[in-house]
Amino acid sequence: MRMEADVTVIGSGPAGLVAALHAYESGAKHVLLLEREEELGGILKQCIHNGFGLEQFKIDYTGPEYAERLIEEMERTDVRYLLNTMVIALSPDRIITAVNPDSGVFKVKSRSVVLAMGCRERPRGGINIPGTRPAGVYTAGVAQRFVNIDGYLPGKEVVVLGSGDIGLIMARRLTLEGAQVKGVYEIMNYPGGLKRNIVQCLNDFSIPLYLSHTVTEIRGNERVEGVVVSRVDEKMQPIAGSEQFIACDTLLLSVGLIPENELSKGAGIKLSPTTNGPITTETMETAVPGIFSCGNVSTVFDLVDYVAETGMTAGRNAARFAKASKKEGKSIEVIAGENVRMLFPQRYSFEDDLILFIRCAKPIERPLRIDISPLDMHFKRLYARPNEMIRVKVLKDRLKDITEPIEVNITER
Amino acid sequence: MDIEKKHFTCVICPIGCEIDVELQDSNVVSIEGSKCAKGKEFVSQELKEPMRILTTTIRMKGAKWAMLPVRTDKPIPKRLLFMVMKELQNIELKAPVQMSDVIIRDIAGTGANILATRNMKKEREGKSV
Repeated sequence: MRMEADVTVIGSGPAGLVAALHAYESGAKHVLLLEREEELGGILKQCIHNGFGLEQFKIDYTGPEYAERLIEEMERTDVRYLLNTMVIALSPDRIITAVNPDSGVFKVKSRSVVLAMGCRERPRGGINIPGTRPAGVYTAGVAQRFVNIDGYLPGKEVVVLGSGDIGLIMARRLTLEGAQVKGVYEIMNYPGGLKRNIVQCLNDFSIPLYLSHTVTEIRGNERVEGVVVSRVDEKMQPIAGSEQFIACDTLLLSVGLIPENELSKGAGIKLSPTTNGPITTETMETAVPGIFSCGNVSTVFDLVDYVAETGMTAGRNAARFAKASKKEGKSIEVIAGENVRMLFPQRYSFEDDLILFIRCAKPIERPLRIDISPLDMHFKRLYARPNEMIRVKVLKDRLKDITEPIEVNITER
Repeated sequence: MDIEKKHFTCVICPIGCEIDVELQDSNVVSIEGSKCAKGKEFVSQELKEPMRILTTTIRMKGAKWAMLPVRTDKPIPKRLLFMVMKELQNIELKAPVQMSDVIIRDIAGTGANILATRNMKKEREGKSV
């Protein structure tokens, strides 16, 4: 079997749904959405908590409600979607190889492609915790799936390592379900998740947060019997003598998310070492013409609203490319300067406004300035924290005469 | 009478305004740090009775998935969260359910309804789960 499409979107989480919808609304006739799971919506289906879409819709949706709203909007269009369909390869000339139970292996020739595969959780092996290998060590998202979809409580006495948002959300969720969460341990000296989640997920339930701490050993034979936690120094090395044993039957890991880019690599797309996602321009186009990338496969965003915003841009531009394969335009680099750990997008191609997503390198708890050079342009903020992405918008008009790279610096005022 | 100072982080939106409040005789003298009116409302409410939306799941029969995600349709007193969780523990629903269906009215006397937050189709008979 061989199919053809104007725009093919890989992944139907928030980025993919919005991209497909906007590709269609921008005039692409044959939009195809490929999803490897048995229903649309991606990770939103298990994120049953509220707080989704506050910026985008001004409504406080839960994850499933937010997904349902996008799915309903999409169902009113002629976007075609295939479920249980796993994309196994993508070529630079935009031929997709996929497999599903109905058609077996098949190919799709697409005028443009949107990558929206999202990200994966960093597992235990990704942080090398010494100790035994008992049952009871889960990533936070896996535990979320067990509790919210399958109806199983992963344990009764829980330690959470890492203070990413999913870990915080799960600390609350497990507490509500009757488990005892003994503490959240974070190796950095600042939390990984949003401040509001520290407040409403930990403080509300008196769950302690220990900064500059990590798990240095897992104990237990069949099942986790406890973990050893240690304080760490400024270089994040465990401090000898600070070890403390904590009895528990479950260890949840919330230690980072990694964009899922096997397909991107196969297509020869250049990845950024800081975002671990494709290097893209403000139109979300990757270094391979006609292949666009959006959402958490590009860089891990804090909010679904930002994910959707990049999906919108990718969908719109993928439709534009499908209509008239764009001429090779010029583009310049966007460089992360002083105090900037992560910057997205990494290039500017003079097509659209430049919406920058920035993570600072360290917490700055005093007024600061985000400088966009060579423009004489500054954004002021009262503080900046690595766990809270900064979004700023530079209008296309301001950028049209620039020839040298754009550099973003954060300086204290 | 001494001035009592309290600090809040607003949880209404992702900005998370850091709000400082001064109280005298339990009356608010000043609220500072909130970027919008909702922050002030949030703090006044926190001082009276902290309220939260509850999101959780209810056991489901006859659907593809074991659990139906639900929410309260408005914030309920924080101190009642566990009581509501307990009331929902022994309930079992039958598919199909539509998003926004009222599953339980006036849960535990809070005045809030429990709503389904997704559609859950009935799984065809004979299909194993």
